[in-house]
Amino acid sequence: MEYKVSLGPQHPALHEAVSLRMTLDGEVIRDADLKLGYSHRGIEKLAEERSYIQNIYLTERICGICSHSHTTCFTQGVEQLMELVPARRGLFIRTLIAELERVHSHLLWLGVAGQEAGFESFFMYTWRDREVVLDILEWISGNRVHYAMNIFGGVRRDIDELQRKKILDSLDLLKKRTDYYLNLAASEPTFVGRLAGVGKLSREDAIALCAVGPTLRASGIASDVRKDDPYAVYGEIPFEVATADSCDVLGRAVVRVKELISSYAMIEFLLKNLPEGPFKVKAPRKVKPNEVYSRYEAPRGENVHYIKSNGSDKPERLKVRAPTLANYPATIAMLKKGFIADIPLIFAAIDPCICCAERLVQLDDARRGDSRVLSFSQLRSMANERAKKIDFKKRKIAWPF
Amino acid sequence: MSLRIAPFLPELLRSLFKKPVTVKYPFEKEAVPKDFRGTVVFDPAKCIGCNICVNDCPAEAIDIIRVSETEKKFKMILHNDRCIHCAQCVDSCPTKTYHMDLEYETAAFSRWDLKIEYK
Repeated sequence: MEYKVSLGPQHPALHEAVSLRMTLDGEVIRDADLKLGYSHRGIEKLAEERSYIQNIYLTERICGICSHSHTTCFTQGVEQLMELVPARRGLFIRTLIAELERVHSHLLWLGVAGQEAGFESFFMYTWRDREVVLDILEWISGNRVHYAMNIFGGVRRDIDELQRKKILDSLDLLKKRTDYYLNLAASEPTFVGRLAGVGKLSREDAIALCAVGPTLRASGIASDVRKDDPYAVYGEIPFEVATADSCDVLGRAVVRVKELISSYAMIEFLLKNLPEGPFKVKAPRKVKPNEVYSRYEAPRGENVHYIKSNGSDKPERLKVRAPTLANYPATIAMLKKGFIADIPLIFAAIDPCICCAERLVQLDDARRGDSRVLSFSQLRSMANERAKKIDFKKRKIAWPF
Repeated sequence: MSLRIAPFLPELLRSLFKKPVTVKYPFEKEAVPKDFRGTVVFDPAKCIGCNICVNDCPAEAIDIIRVSETEKKFKMILHNDRCIHCAQCVDSCPTKTYHMDLEYETAAFSRWDLKIEYK
C-alpha cells in the first residue's frame, strides 16, 4: 500500500525551510516532489535599485557560507562589462580568499555529514578545526563570515608579510588534521557503512539532470569551472580535479576531503607566488550597455550570475543561479528507491543552501491543485483586489497596542 | 584501507584531558584582529559634505546633515541598527573622515539606542 507523506517546511532534519512530498511504499520512497519558495527574499529585484558598489554587498548576503563566491561571480562579471583588467596581486588575493572559503565550507560540510550520520564527535572535532580557517579569514578581512574583500578592479585589503607567515603556519595544522580525518573516515566501520550505497546517482543521471559541484564529481565526471573555464588566476595554478567513482554519499565525502587537500596546496602556491604591485585599480562608476554571463566554482558547485547593464550606475537585471538549485533534480533522483531515514543524509550530501536558491514566487491553488508562476505586478494587483473586497467597517478591528 | 574498531577512541581520550577550546564569552573576551571591522567612527572636522558615503552605503545607514548655513560644517547620524559593517564608507571617503574601531559588543534593548550622532 502506498502512503503520501509530507516532510517540512519546518523540520528538524532539514536546516532550512523546504517542503518534501513523498509517495511511500512502506519505508521506501517511490516518488518525491520538492516545494520551494518558503524563504524567498527578492534579492534580484532589490539589485536593480542599487548601484554596482552597493550590489557587491547585497550579492555577498545571498549566502552566508559561500559569501565570497557570489561577490566574485558578480564582480568579475561587472569587470568584464567595464572592460577593466583587475590588478594581478588583487586577483591572487581574491583566489586565496576563495580557496580559504572552500576549506571552511568543506570542513563545515564534513561536520554536518558526521552529524547526519550519527557521528556527533566527528562533527565537533571538524568544527573545532574550522575555527582555525575562520580566524585566518577574520585576520585578513576583518570579519569571520562576510569578508567584503572584492571591489571592481581588485580587492580592498592587502596581505602583509606577517599575515602570510601566519596563514602558512596555520595551514600545517589544518593539513595534519585533514589527513587524520581522511584516514578516520575511511577506517571507521560505522561511518563508512552508513554513507556507502546511500543516495546513488549514476554517471548518466548526473549528466542528464545537470548536477553540479561535488555531487557531479562524485559520479565520476571531472567537471570543474576552475579547470574548464579558468577565471581569476586558476589558469596558472597546478591542480587536479578531485573525482570519485562510487556515485554515493561516501563518494561525495571523499571528493570534498580531496578538494580540501588540493585547496591547501593551492593556498600555499598562491602565497609563495604572490606578485608585488598594486592590489586594486580604479574602476568607473557607470557601465556601458551590455550583458555578461559569469561563472564561478563555489564550494557547492557552479555558481552563475547574469548581469545586464544599461549605461547607468545600476544594473538593469541581475540573475543568480545558486548551485543548490541545479542540484535539486539530482536530489529527487537520489531520493527515489531510498529509505526515509536517508533523507537528511542525501539532502546534506548536496550541501544545500536553500535560502540562496529561492528565486521566484510560485503559488499553489489548494482547491484546484495547480500551480502558477506570477510576476510582481500580477501579485500586486491580486493583493489590491483582495484589499478592495474587505469591508473594514464590518470587521471592527482595533489596533491592539 | 582496512577497517579498524573504534579508531576515533585515542583522539577522544586525549581530548578528555585537554582544556576546553571554547571561551566563556561574557567573562573571558578574545582579542579581535587589528583590522577588525567594528563600529564606524566619524570625524566631523574632516567632512566636506560630498555625500559619496551616503550614496555608496549598501545599508543606507548614514545621514550627513549640514549644521550651519554659512560654514561648511556637517554632522553625521549613524544608524548602527542598519549598519552591516562593510567599511565601504571608509574606502569611499575622499578625505579619510571615517575609520572603524574594534568595538563589537553593540547590542541594545531598543534599535533607537543604536543611533549614534557625531557632531
